[in-house]
Amino acid sequence: MQEGGPLIHVVKNSHHRHPEPFDREKLHKSIVAACLSAGTPTGHAESIGRRVTDEVLLWLESRPEVTSNDLRRVASKYLRTYHPDASFLYEHHRATL
Amino acid sequence: MDIITSLAIVAFAALIHASFQLSVSVLTLLSGHAIGSKKSRARVLHLTTSYTTGAGVMTLLVLSFASLIFLHAFGTTIPLIVWALACGLVLGIGIAVWLFYYRKGTKGTELWIPRSFAKFLNDRSKSTKYGAEAFSLGLTSILAELLFIIPTVSIAALVLIELPSEWQLIGIAIYTLISLLGLIIVWSLIGSGTSLARIQKWRTENKRFLQFTAGSALVVLGFFVYVSKIMTTISGSM
Repeated sequence: MQEGGPLIHVVKNSHHRHPEPFDREKLHKSIVAACLSAGTPTGHAESIGRRVTDEVLLWLESRPEVTSNDLRRVASKYLRTYHPDASFLYEHHRATL
Repeated sequence: MDIITSLAIVAFAALIHASFQLSVSVLTLLSGHAIGSKKSRARVLHLTTSYTTGAGVMTLLVLSFASLIFLHAFGTTIPLIVWALACGLVLGIGIAVWLFYYRKGTKGTELWIPRSFAKFLNDRSKSTKYGAEAFSLGLTSILAELLFIIPTVSIAALVLIELPSEWQLIGIAIYTLISLLGLIIVWSLIGSGTSLARIQKWRTENKRFLQFTAGSALVVLGFFVYVSKIMTTISGSM
């Protein structure tokens, strides 16, 4: 985890790529983007993004390594409680094409 | 075949083309990335308009190119064997669409196209920032969809080259406009502020229906052209 915590590695979907350190900002940005795409006003999207990111960080505490799919699934599960439509977009983003 | 029947076949082929989902998927991805990166509404509209225009221009070019090739190869009188081959292609792709159009075992609207194509289009839609890029993405999405639109374009081109020249232009315009219907509907929904989640949910929930209608319509088109061109000619010469 960043900011002095233990380092968590994210194993990417394509195994050709090396695992990369977990990036809190990247997760927050992707959740905000899903909320905005679902028609949420910017301020509300930022607030949902912060809350979901915090919940995902709690879930990550006991895990030194996670896959990007796990991360997406868990973030989408937490997002569902705040914004089901955004959660749908977040979960299905990779399966659009 | 009279002019009205020929134009009806062209319009029907274009309607089948419009039911294919690849370019619509790329449009939803493009607008999703643009909205997600906090671009203004006007900017999103500019990008989606450029994309739709690009897709229209490439459709026009592909149909004109196919017509030109057929015209050079066969002249204005198409041999029956060519009609038979075209009908076989339409029927074959129709059955393939029934069986393979969407990837099995996926939750979303993932299509049966090479993953490298899908990744390229996804990455491009993410990094598109200017109208010219969106226009090029529209051009590319039609090329990526060629596997599915080859039969509709072939039938439309074969029908068009048998028409008088002024009707050929009208036929090309009809095909291009109708084939863009799916894109125009999604473009206007995005422009009017409809949530992308709502659009994507509808597409996911109805994907099997869209697959079935596209496949069935191709089979009907192949059968209709077979009867109206081949059967009629053979029975007329007996």
